[in-house]
Parts: sequence; C-alpha cells; structure tokens
Amino acid sequence: MLPVVVVHGGAGHIPKERSETAASGVCSAARAGYAVLRGGGSSMDAVVEAVSQLENNPSFNAGCGSVLNVKGEVEMDAIVMDGKTLGSGAVSAVRNIANPVQLARLVMDKTSHACLTAEGANQFAWAMGVPKVPEESLITEYSVMRWTKNLAPDANPVECQMGKMGTVGAVAVDSEGNIACATSTGGLLNKMVGRVGDTPCIGGGGYADNEAGAVSTTGHGEAIMKVTLARLILFHMEQGQSVEAASDLGLAYMKSRVGGLGGVVTVDPQGHWAARFSSLQMAWAAAQRDTLHYGLYAGEHVTQSIDNPH
Amino acid sequence: MCQVSADEAENNTQISQNHVSMAEVLSEEDRERKSKMSAVVVVHGGAWAIPDELAEASVSGVKAAACEGFSALKRGGNAVDAVEAAVRALEDNTVFNAGHGAALNANGEVELDAIIMDGSTLASGAVSCVKNIANPVSLARAVMEKTAHIMLTGRGANMFAESVGVATVPTETLVTEYERKEWEKRKHYVAGVMEDFNSQWAHDTVGAVAVDCAGNVACATSTGGIRNKMVGRVGDSPIIGSGGYADNFSGAVSCTGHGESILKVTLARLILSHIEQGKPVAEASQASLRYMGDRVRGAGGAIAVSPSGQWAATFTTERMAWAAVEDDVLWYGLDPNMRLKEQLSK
Repeated sequence: MLPVVVVHGGAGHIPKERSETAASGVCSAARAGYAVLRGGGSSMDAVVEAVSQLENNPSFNAGCGSVLNVKGEVEMDAIVMDGKTLGSGAVSAVRNIANPVQLARLVMDKTSHACLTAEGANQFAWAMGVPKVPEESLITEYSVMRWTKNLAPDANPVECQMGKMGTVGAVAVDSEGNIACATSTGGLLNKMVGRVGDTPCIGGGGYADNEAGAVSTTGHGEAIMKVTLARLILFHMEQGQSVEAASDLGLAYMKSRVGGLGGVVTVDPQGHWAARFSSLQMAWAAAQRDTLHYGLYAGEHVTQSIDNPH
Repeated sequence: MCQVSADEAENNTQISQNHVSMAEVLSEEDRERKSKMSAVVVVHGGAWAIPDELAEASVSGVKAAACEGFSALKRGGNAVDAVEAAVRALEDNTVFNAGHGAALNANGEVELDAIIMDGSTLASGAVSCVKNIANPVSLARAVMEKTAHIMLTGRGANMFAESVGVATVPTETLVTEYERKEWEKRKHYVAGVMEDFNSQWAHDTVGAVAVDCAGNVACATSTGGIRNKMVGRVGDSPIIGSGGYADNFSGAVSCTGHGESILKVTLARLILSHIEQGKPVAEASQASLRYMGDRVRGAGGAIAVSPSGQWAATFTTERMAWAAVEDDVLWYGLDPNMRLKEQLSK
C-alpha cells in the first residue's frame, strides 16, 4: 500500500472549459510526487514536489496563477507539516516568490519558528537566497479578468468565486511510513489586503501525524478555519473512522455548522486514502502501486497505469 | 457542577473539603442550576518561569483583569464582551507582554498578535504582526464583526485598523524602558544562540475564557511575541485551534507557553476534543499538556471553561499567573497547586 501520494487542485465550481487543464495538472503533480517516492525520497520531498508543480502551473490558484487581492496584488500562503516530528513551516501573505511551499519548508528546516508572515517572510526568503520574481510573472490574464469582474459594484458574490481554481495541496506516506502534507494558495479572490485564510494555519489548511494520518484541505477558507477541518478529520480517524468516513464527517459538519463547502485529500498510516468534497467539483489525483487515480466531478474515479503517458 | 476537579482537590488543603461537599449538595439541584447558569471568567498572564520581582504585579494584574471581565458580564455583556474586557485590561498593563509592555523584534519594532472567538457561531477574528496598536484584541474583534474574514496580517491589518478608526500609537508608548534596554543588550547575539534559551524566555502571552449566563462561551489571546524574534514570526496566539478556540458544544480555551509546541499539537482544539469525549475540563487540560510535553517536549499552560461552568487553570511550566471569578468569588494562583480565593463584595 506504500508509498502513496494524493494531490488536489482545489474544490469549487470548475467550469467545463477548464476541467481538462485541471485534471491534467493534478495528474502531472501526482506523477511527480510518486516518482520522488519511488526513488526513495521522503513524503515531505514528495508533497513539496507535487505542490511546487501546481504552483508553477498557471491554471491553479497558487504561486503563478494566484488570485489577486482587492488591490490587484498577489499575496500567497502555504504550509508543510512533518508527521514524524509534528514540525511545520508556514508563510502567510508572502509576495514576489514563485514557490511559497518551498519557503514554508525552509521556515520549518532553517528556523526554530513555525510561521513567518508578510514582510518578515519576504526578508527571510531573500536571506535564504530565494529569487525575487516580479509580480507580473505570477499574474495571469484569467486572474485579472476575475478580479476586474469582482470589482464591479453589482458583482455576484457567488459567481465571483466560481471558475477560479482553488488552493492546491498534497498528502503522502513514504515507504518508511513517514507522513507529510503541504498546501499552498493565492487565497480568496479580491480578498482584503493581508487576509490570511486556513492554508497556513496548522490544523486548518493541513495537518500530518505519523500516528494518525494527514489531511490537506481546500474550499471556503473561513469555514475551514472555524472547524479546524484538517485536525477535526484526524480526530475522527484517531477514534476509529476510516479515511472516507472521517473526511465526510468533517465536511458535513462544516456544511451544517458554518455553511461552508470544501474538499480534502486524506491518508492514513497504512496508505488508505480518500479524496472527498462537498463542493460541486474538486480536481484530485492519487498514485499508489504504480496506478494513477484521478477525478473531478462527484463520483468520478478514473484509473490508469502510472506509466501511461498522459 | 464542580469548580475543582477531584484530583486537583487532593492537592489543596481545607478548600477542597468545602468543594467536595458543595458538589454533593449541588448534584440534587443541577437541573435547576442549569437554568440559572453560573457565569465564569478565567484569565492568564502567561505560563513561564515568572521571576519573583514580577510575581506580585502579575498576580494583581490577572486578578484585576478577571474582575474587569466579570464586571462586563454583570453589566449585561456576553462572553465575548467579557473576554475582550479582560484581555484589554491585560494589554494595558505593562507587566505583561501584550499591547503595552510588548517585546521588540529583531528590527526593534513591535509586532502584535491576537485572536478572539465566539463559541455560539464559531465566528472568530485574528490579527498577526500588526504594528503599534494598543489593543490588538479589540482589533481582532473588529475583524470578526466588520469583515468577511477571520485573519488579517501585517500592513493589511494596519490598513484595516486605520479604516475603522483604531489609532496607531508610537512604539515608545508600548515598549517599557526595561524592554528597550534588554533588547539593546541582546541585539548583538546571533539568532541561533537565542533559540537555545527559548525555554527560559518570557512566554507572557495573555488570555481569557468566559461562559455567560446564557451558556455562551468565548476565548481571547493576545501577545507581543518573543524578544528579538525574527521579523514576521507568528506564534500560536492568533492561530485558531492553537492559541485559542471556543465552541458552545464543548467549551473555550486560551493557551500560553512555548508557541511552536502549542502549534504542533493544536493545543486548544486538542483540549476541547478531550472534553467532547467526556473528560472533565481539568483532566482534558492535563492530558493535553502532558501529551505536548511527551510528544514535542514543550511546556505551557491553558485556561479552559465548559458551557456548564466547569473551569480549570493548568500549566506545566514553573509558574502561571491566573485568576477566575465565579459567583462573586475571586480565585487566583501563580505556583503549582496554589489556589487562593477572595470573596468579592456584591
């Protein structure tokens, strides 16, 4: 059953014309994560690789392709967590870098802190030799189009959040049984300057524990925070629920208690995994036993050999 | 309804006898009591090796803050009003590292974090690394009530403060002379050296939890961080589930101690998960702090209250300044197993 990696490219409403890009993006990322695991890499290496690919892919709301804040700027959040030590690294409202997930990992590996924000996160990036990239390199035409539409006084708030790809993330268990998670996002479309969502909040955007499993979440950030969704799902697993049941319980609770929709990828120490969502769609892909699994629409589950060129 | 859990009662002297017997009498009337729920406010002024020269001021500070919080309830306020009032009192008191009395970061600036949470709706507001605001807990409340978001950071948090008319104050008014001198002394050390002494450092985050007469719970936590911390370092305080959490179905918690350890185990949420599974408040807190010590070698403290009015102040550090008000009785402590009380005039 091991190793295994599961990735998501965001839960929400993915319009048909973007669905193929979403599916191929998560499949590529899952393949990349799996290659790391098969080569003997750690679960942390695998999730960082998978999420970096999704950050580099302009079709997802992370790194390049991030949504814009109300001022038209890119402010990104990310987290990584190591299930063996419970160590984590997170950045919030970081700007002008291509891979926030890698900076989050540096916070974990190179400092005694768990989270750096805003100018401090950027100062740390430059001190670590992370290249400063122009904001334009992170902004896509699609993001600008969505941002402009949202600024209109009569903009429909529901329609506003549709169509944007979501937060990206991954969970993995390596051959040694070590578990990790990673999540990265550009946040909420037209968010207030400095708005931080669930992604960099441990227990919200993700959580990993060798003794319980790992979760990476996506969806309505404020709702995820209110129920600390990742940690909640793992509490259910600690109490004996399966990866599917625990994930569904968490998502159902979030919907009934605070009216929020979302999705998760979840894995347990034995390698059982689930990709569950209460939103209309979620782009996801998993790689295990040389098999690639993926889906987008509710109930969709396609499998093919991992070595099948896409 | 028990104010003192059985195992804590064993650690006390004559007070425990009164409470064991009180609990027996009350069990008959429990159902009636539930309709006139007892309101409780508990506050803490940080879990760390508080030196003797700060002990008296810390204890009187938390006592005053607990009374402030309780007064808010008596004036008709709810649990959120109570925790905000209590934490504001602690932020205004320079003996604690929050608002006034904050620590300086590596750049010699003040960066403040705070969170507030309403257990009835799970609504929450938080700010991280906001600069030069006297009462971050009130700004966090404004985020909760005036925006569609939960958390604002850095310049965005300051922009929001300005937009709602919250004044920025000069660094000098927030930082004590003592703190400025200490910072000057240490700024020449390399960051790596500082980390070794982390456990000895002040972790005097402040916080409060409350349950009001309607059974609503709330929590609030506020901090100026660690002296000479990296610019932009965010600890557990403003992170929902770690620095604090409140849910009418289980209770409210505010944490203090080694921030990175609290984050690793999402301490506030962990304590409440134990309460959800039926553990009394004190036992839930003790089990969670023990886990934090065993799993990640971190020490800290937590105050917790349940919707029925059970409460506890628990810590694994050398000391924690705490106080609670319930039924016009003021409880307070500093050293382990210390539990003093004063009758408040009605």
